[in-house]
Amino acid sequence: MQYDQHTYRLTDTGNYGTVALIVGVVGLIGSAVGYITDPAQFFHSYLTAFFFWLSLGLGGLFFVMLHHLVGAKWSVVLRRLSENIMMTIPVMAMLFIPLLFGIKELFHWSHPELVATDHLLQSKEPYLNVTFFILRAVVYFVIWMLLAFLLNRYSLKQDQAHDNKLVRTLRVISAPGMILFALSITFAGFDWLMSLDAHWYSTIFGVYVFSGNLLGMLAFLTFSILSLQSKNVLTGVITPEHHHDLGKLLFAFTVFWAYMAFSQYFLIWYGNIPEETVWFLERWESSWKIISLLLVFGHFAVPFFVLFPAGAKRHRGVLMVISIWLLIMHWVDLHWLVMPSLHPHGIHFSWMDPVTMIGLGGVFVWLFRRRTAAKPLVPVNDPGLGDSIRFINH
Amino acid sequence: MSTEAPHIPTSPGAPPLVTGNQTFASVTENICRITERKTPPVWYLALGAAMSLLLVLFGSIGYLFWEGTGIWGLNNPVGWGWAIINFVWWVGIGHAGTLISAILFLLRQRWRTSINRFAEAMTLFAISCALIFPGIHVGRIWVAYWMFPIPNQMQMWPNFRSPLLWDVFAVSTYFAASLLFWFTGLIPDLATFRDRATSKIKKYIFGFLALGWRGGNRQWRHYELAYLILAGISTPLVLSVHSVVSTDFAISIIPGWHTTIFPPYFVAGAIFSGFAMVVTLTIIARKLFHLEDFITVNHLERMNKIILLTGSMVGYAYGMEFFIAWYSGNIYEQAVFLNRAFGQYAWAYWIMISCNVIVPQLFWFRKLRTSIPVMFIASLLINVGMWFERFVIVVTSLAQDFLPANWDYYRPTIWDISTFVGSFGLFFTLFLLFIRFLPMISITEVKAVLPQADPHQGGSHE
Repeated sequence: MQYDQHTYRLTDTGNYGTVALIVGVVGLIGSAVGYITDPAQFFHSYLTAFFFWLSLGLGGLFFVMLHHLVGAKWSVVLRRLSENIMMTIPVMAMLFIPLLFGIKELFHWSHPELVATDHLLQSKEPYLNVTFFILRAVVYFVIWMLLAFLLNRYSLKQDQAHDNKLVRTLRVISAPGMILFALSITFAGFDWLMSLDAHWYSTIFGVYVFSGNLLGMLAFLTFSILSLQSKNVLTGVITPEHHHDLGKLLFAFTVFWAYMAFSQYFLIWYGNIPEETVWFLERWESSWKIISLLLVFGHFAVPFFVLFPAGAKRHRGVLMVISIWLLIMHWVDLHWLVMPSLHPHGIHFSWMDPVTMIGLGGVFVWLFRRRTAAKPLVPVNDPGLGDSIRFINH
Repeated sequence: MSTEAPHIPTSPGAPPLVTGNQTFASVTENICRITERKTPPVWYLALGAAMSLLLVLFGSIGYLFWEGTGIWGLNNPVGWGWAIINFVWWVGIGHAGTLISAILFLLRQRWRTSINRFAEAMTLFAISCALIFPGIHVGRIWVAYWMFPIPNQMQMWPNFRSPLLWDVFAVSTYFAASLLFWFTGLIPDLATFRDRATSKIKKYIFGFLALGWRGGNRQWRHYELAYLILAGISTPLVLSVHSVVSTDFAISIIPGWHTTIFPPYFVAGAIFSGFAMVVTLTIIARKLFHLEDFITVNHLERMNKIILLTGSMVGYAYGMEFFIAWYSGNIYEQAVFLNRAFGQYAWAYWIMISCNVIVPQLFWFRKLRTSIPVMFIASLLINVGMWFERFVIVVTSLAQDFLPANWDYYRPTIWDISTFVGSFGLFFTLFLLFIRFLPMISITEVKAVLPQADPHQGGSHE
C-alpha cells in the first residue's frame, strides 16, 4: 500500500477490497445454501450478523455527529475514517431486505394463529404487526441514510475549498440528527432484537443496544487505524496521542456498556417478577450460562483491566488485540441476544453463524476499503486539522 | 517519502475564556478582592435571611423529633412523602459540581475553570441539605445510627440488601470524595490567601489550611497528579450515586418505580437539575461581585447546552417509560402511567413535563441560550420541574396502589413545607459563608487558561 502524505490519499490500495468482496460474495452464497437447508437457523444467524455490521455503521454515524456537535479538535483526523464506516449504511439497508422474508421465522408475534391464543400479543398488535414493522424499518433506514448522505456530502465539500461555514452546517445537521438517531436506534433495537421475545420488555434496552454498537464501532475504528499504520499510512498524522484517546474511549464505553447491562440485569433480578426474569432465566438455566458469564468477564472485566493502565492505551499491540477482542465480544453479545429465542435449551453454534458473518463482513470491508481508497484519509480542509495533528494528550 | 511538510489548515482560534485583558496579577486581585474588602451590608442582610430560614429548619426538625413523623402529610398508602422527594432533589442538584470538576476535567473542557470551585461548593452544600432528610425521616431518631453497620453486642446489622443502606454508603462516599477534591483544588488558592493575609489570625488559619504549600515545581507535579487521580475516582461516583438513589425505587415491584432505565435516567436528571442550579447561582454571583470577565456568557451558553442535552435525555426516559408501560401489556403499569398524566396528580405531571422537557428546548436557539433573563427563568423553572419529577414518581405510584380500597390523596402539611423551605436556609447560609471567606473562582486554574499561560502563544511551536 502506498500513501501520498501531501494529499492524504492512498495511491496504491492493494487488492484487499477485491479480496474482501469475493470472500463476501462466497459467504453470501454459502448463506443462501443455509437458507435452503434450515431457514430458521439461517434467519437467526443472518440477523445476528446483519445487526453486527449495521451496528458499526450506526456507531460511525453517532461518532461523526458527536464530533460535529461538541466541536472536538483532537478527533478531526479520525473523522474521515468514521465517515467511511458510516457510509456502509446504505448498502446495509439493501442487505436488510432478506430479513423481510424471515419475519415469520424470527418473530412469533407475526403468526396470527399464535396471536389469537395469546392475550398479551393481542394487546401489542397495534405495534407488533408485519405492516407497521416494515414501515418502521423503512423510516429508520431513511433517517440513517439521510443523515449519512448529508454529513458525507458536506464533509466532501469541505475537502474542495476552505469554508468555515461548513463546520456550522455540519453541526446544524448533527443536532436534530442526534435526536432522530436516539429514537430510531432505540426502536430498531426494540423491533429487531427485543421483540424476538415479544412478551419481554425493558425500558433500558435501547440504550443497552446503543452502548454495544458504539463500543463495537470504536473497536473497529481503532483496528482499522492500526492496520493502516502498520502499512506506514497516516503515521505522523494519527499519533500515539490519538491512540491514547481511542483507548480511553474504548475503556469508557466498556464501562458504559457494563453499566447498562448491569442496570438491566440487576433491577430485573431484584424485582424478581416472572414476566421479566424469564428472559434472563433462559440465558442462565441452560448452557447459555457460559455465554452469560463470558459476557461478564469478556465484555467487561478483561477490557477493563487490560485498558486500565495508561501505557496500554498507547501500546499499539495491546490496542490491536483488545479491539479485535471487543469486536468478538460484540458479536457474542448479539448472539446472546438473538439466539436463545431459537435455541432456548442451550448453546447452539451453527456453521451459518460464521458464514453469514463473513458474507456480510466481506461486503462491509469492501465498502469501507473502497471509500478509504477513493477519498483523502482525513478531512483535508477542516480548520481543526492542524490542531488535531499536533494534539498532545494531557 | 518527501521531507516537504504537507499543507495543514489551522483553526482561527477559539475566543478567549476570560475577557477584560486580565493579567496574572489582575486575576489574583479581582478574585481575592471579594473576600478581602470590608463586608458589604447586603451580605449581612442575606445571611440574616438565610439564617432565619435555617432557624425554621431547626424548629421544624425539633418539633418533628418531639412529635414524630405524624406531623407530616404521610397517610396510609403514601408512606414516603416530601422527605424522600427533598432528599433526591438535593442530591440531584449536588451532581453538577463533580461533573464539572471531574468529568469535564477528564474531557479537557477548559471552560470549567471559571465555574468549578463554585459548583463544587454547591455540591457539598446540596449534599449537606440532602443528608438531613434520611436522618430525620426514620421516626426513631435516637437509633438513627443503626443506618451504619456498627458492630454491637446484639449482633444487629442493617439489611445489606436494602438500597436505603446503599444510599448511606453512596452519598457519604460521594460527600467525602467531593470534599477531598474540592479541598485539593483549593490548596494553592489558600496559599495565595495566606500570603496576602493582613491579620495574624487569618495568616494562621489560611496557613494551616494551605498545608505548607510553597508552589515549587515538585509540589505542582504532585498536585496535578493528585488532582487527576481524584478526578478519576470522582467520575464513577457522579454516575453511581444517583444510580443507587434510583434503586431506592427501581428494585421494588411497584408500577412506575420498577423499570430498568431508572439508573441512567436519574443520573441525567441529576446533572440536569444540578446545572440549572449552577446557572441560577452563577447569574446572581457574577452580577453581585462583578465577575463578568471570568464567568462570561460563553460559559453560561455552554452550561445551557448541557442543560438542553440532559433535559432531552430526561424527555427520552419519560417517553420510554410511557411506551414500555403500554408495550408491556401489564394493566397495572398502564394504569399508573395513565393516572400520572390524566389522574388526580395530572397537574404535577404536566408541571414536570413543561418545565423539564419543554423549557430546555428554548436553548436550541442561540439568542435564547445567551440571554441572561431567559436562562435565569428557565433554570429556576427546571428546578421546579425536577422537584415535581420526584413528587410525581414518589406520590403517584403510592397514592393508588394495588388495592383500590387503600387509595388516598396525599397533601403536605405546614411542617413538610417548613422543613423543605428551611433546607434552603442551610444551603444559603453555607453558601454565603463560602463566598465571603474562600475564593469562589479558582485563581490558579483561571490563570492556566489565560493566553499568557500558553508557552506557544503567538505562533506555532514548529
